[in-house]
Amino acid sequence: MTARAPAEDARPARAAAPPSPRRSGGTSRGGTGARRGTRLADLAGVGPPLALFCLFIMIPMISAVVLSFVRWNGLGTPRWVGGANWAQFFRDPVARTSVVVTAKVVVLSYLVQTPISMALGLFTAGRQRYRSVYATVYVLPLLMSTAGIALMWESLLDPNFGALTALSRSWHLGFLQQNWLGNPGLTLYVVVAIIAWQFIPFHTLLYAVGRRQIPAVLYEAARIDGAGPAATFWRVTLPQLRYTIVTSGILMIVGALTYFDIIYIMTNGAPGYTTRVLSLDMYDVAFLQDQYGYASVLAVILGVVGIAVAVGLVRFTGFASMASQQEGAA
Amino acid sequence: MADTPGRWSGQATRRSWLAAAIAAALALAACGSAAGTGKGTSGHRSKGATVTMWLVTTGPSPANTAAANLVSSFEKSHPGDHITLDFVENQSFKQKIQLAMGAGNPPAVFWTWGGGILQQYIKAGDVYSLGNPSWATSFLPSSLGAVTYQGHIYGIPVEGTQPVYFFYNKAIFARYHLTFPTTWSGLLSTVAQLKSHGVTPISLANGDQWPGLMYLEYLTDRIGGPSVAKALQANTAGGWSNPAVTQALTDIQQLVKAGAFQSGYDSLHFSGGGSDALVYSGKAAMQLMGDWDISSILGADKSFVTGGDLGMAPFPTVAGGSGDPADLAGNTASYVAIASHATAAQKAIAVAFFKDELTSTSYARAEVAAGEVPVATGASSLFTGQQLASFDTTIYNSVQSAPSFQYSWDQAMTPQVANVMLTNLAQVFELSETPQGFESLLNKQAASGS
Repeated sequence: MTARAPAEDARPARAAAPPSPRRSGGTSRGGTGARRGTRLADLAGVGPPLALFCLFIMIPMISAVVLSFVRWNGLGTPRWVGGANWAQFFRDPVARTSVVVTAKVVVLSYLVQTPISMALGLFTAGRQRYRSVYATVYVLPLLMSTAGIALMWESLLDPNFGALTALSRSWHLGFLQQNWLGNPGLTLYVVVAIIAWQFIPFHTLLYAVGRRQIPAVLYEAARIDGAGPAATFWRVTLPQLRYTIVTSGILMIVGALTYFDIIYIMTNGAPGYTTRVLSLDMYDVAFLQDQYGYASVLAVILGVVGIAVAVGLVRFTGFASMASQQEGAA
Repeated sequence: MADTPGRWSGQATRRSWLAAAIAAALALAACGSAAGTGKGTSGHRSKGATVTMWLVTTGPSPANTAAANLVSSFEKSHPGDHITLDFVENQSFKQKIQLAMGAGNPPAVFWTWGGGILQQYIKAGDVYSLGNPSWATSFLPSSLGAVTYQGHIYGIPVEGTQPVYFFYNKAIFARYHLTFPTTWSGLLSTVAQLKSHGVTPISLANGDQWPGLMYLEYLTDRIGGPSVAKALQANTAGGWSNPAVTQALTDIQQLVKAGAFQSGYDSLHFSGGGSDALVYSGKAAMQLMGDWDISSILGADKSFVTGGDLGMAPFPTVAGGSGDPADLAGNTASYVAIASHATAAQKAIAVAFFKDELTSTSYARAEVAAGEVPVATGASSLFTGQQLASFDTTIYNSVQSAPSFQYSWDQAMTPQVANVMLTNLAQVFELSETPQGFESLLNKQAASGS
């Protein structure tokens, strides 16, 4: 219980935080004339973004819902088919596979990326020598375009001319000689690993920043109380990183849910349907099979699940009511 | 029709809308006298009308230059008529034209592979019929099948023909005293011999899925003749259960089980050049590929082609099969078609362009110079002196004498069938799908797709 004191100290600080100036400030206390002016100004300020939001987000979303009830190949007049497209979704084995693959990608991505990002983030936030050199190296994948990453890994993993095959021959490492992108039991994990390789640097940055914002006084207090490195981690670092973990987690999960580009370029869902995520299935059904109605069903499902997961995570983790837990951290 | 752009039009570039709008405005303003030569449109006369034409490009190529030169020669001989040539990138073309068609605002002249996609447009009333013009006889008859629908011709060849052959490494065959097999059983024993010498028998870029389809196309034709594929393309009920298809799929799996393909054949992409490299570097003995493989190997290893190491052979026959050994599969040609949304004046200009320029010997000559094999009749004399003359002549003669030139199924089928077929055929190649499973799935897909 040694390191509890600082956390308890932090709590009153939050309760005693001064109310925001806006709530108690002059604007709402002003006369009616001023209030009307403010409303007009508010409207003028909110109007353009609201219009853009409707134009580019609300209208397409509503259109997708409407389209999910028609059969249409992009030409001629759409034909109203009621719930037929939705019924098709529940009978479609490919869609079912895609849902499972998507779930696997989401869960695996989270489980792989979180610990590695946290470890690297805490390491690069430290003050040891060459830290900035390491940090620079870790962040390099962040500078590369997604298509570039996909093509690079595709050529590295080529079973005939790839670098891993060359390594396996010259160093006699037989296990490196694999059909990385064509083995139904392996390819999904390869893809998840490459996605992790792409995104870990970003989450590493989040964790590094999060760690650096923890006041040093907490660590001093913990040290005085006799906490070792493990206790310090569990009782100071981890609780203080809570919102970083939530932020990073939401970004990972929602991002993985709609992930498309690397999979599209590297495997396009193959071998078989083993890496066909739902977004890829939707693309295929819409733009290669020209079934815009059924593809809209997939789009709506993807959209609704994505929003539900994001909202759920925000609620469940208390992210919405996020407030500083730190004393004097500002 | 001046339809308002639909909600799917977002991807069409502003420039093309602008171009289409300008073209429409110009066409409306057109009046007075000028050449109106098209069949059935000669009543309308055009002056200063502009036609927008979309062609597909995979990057700046000699063929693009030839097309651009053709347009300027047309504009010179038809003063007042203009053709605006837009090159659209290959990958995005399919979507772009689909959106433009759906929005009722396509370019007056558009590029097409023919087959199932063009048929969709024809059925939707989006394509202008050329009827049966007398000048269409200046193309090899087998080249017009992909653009003929219910006896009417809807498109005219604009670029060369691309049949599929086996391309092989002659040095490997010479080293082990092998000749290229002419029968399927001969191919299987060649595969076994090459394997015993530690050479990968066949290179296959099935990460793209369409290279595997070439085996199914040829085997089906060799076993059951061209009528099988015709029935499939017409979405005939139960067509996929044809015994010829079953045997073709079984033969494919036999080849896979014999270890004919390199490791990782199911994830290799043709565009990366890996499947070619296996052949010219001597790691693999052969590859089944369209005739563009000659120029793609030429670009990677010139001396391999010019030194005479690249062999080309027709697909083997299958014992007991009813197909003609001279039958071909592949892309018969690529085409241009006229949108029915075009104004009468635009149609007249487009027809005149097709009739006066695309049929001309000078264009056939320019195509040959650009490395293409044109489908114009009497083009065989044009290859003399070209770098790849012997290949080109063989290809041209085989197209000319082919009793049937089967159009690539992924283009010939309707999109709804084509993509399910590709994905599941790849599973047949991975031995994770049985011929019967493949057939019942495709029968179902064909039944639902109309």
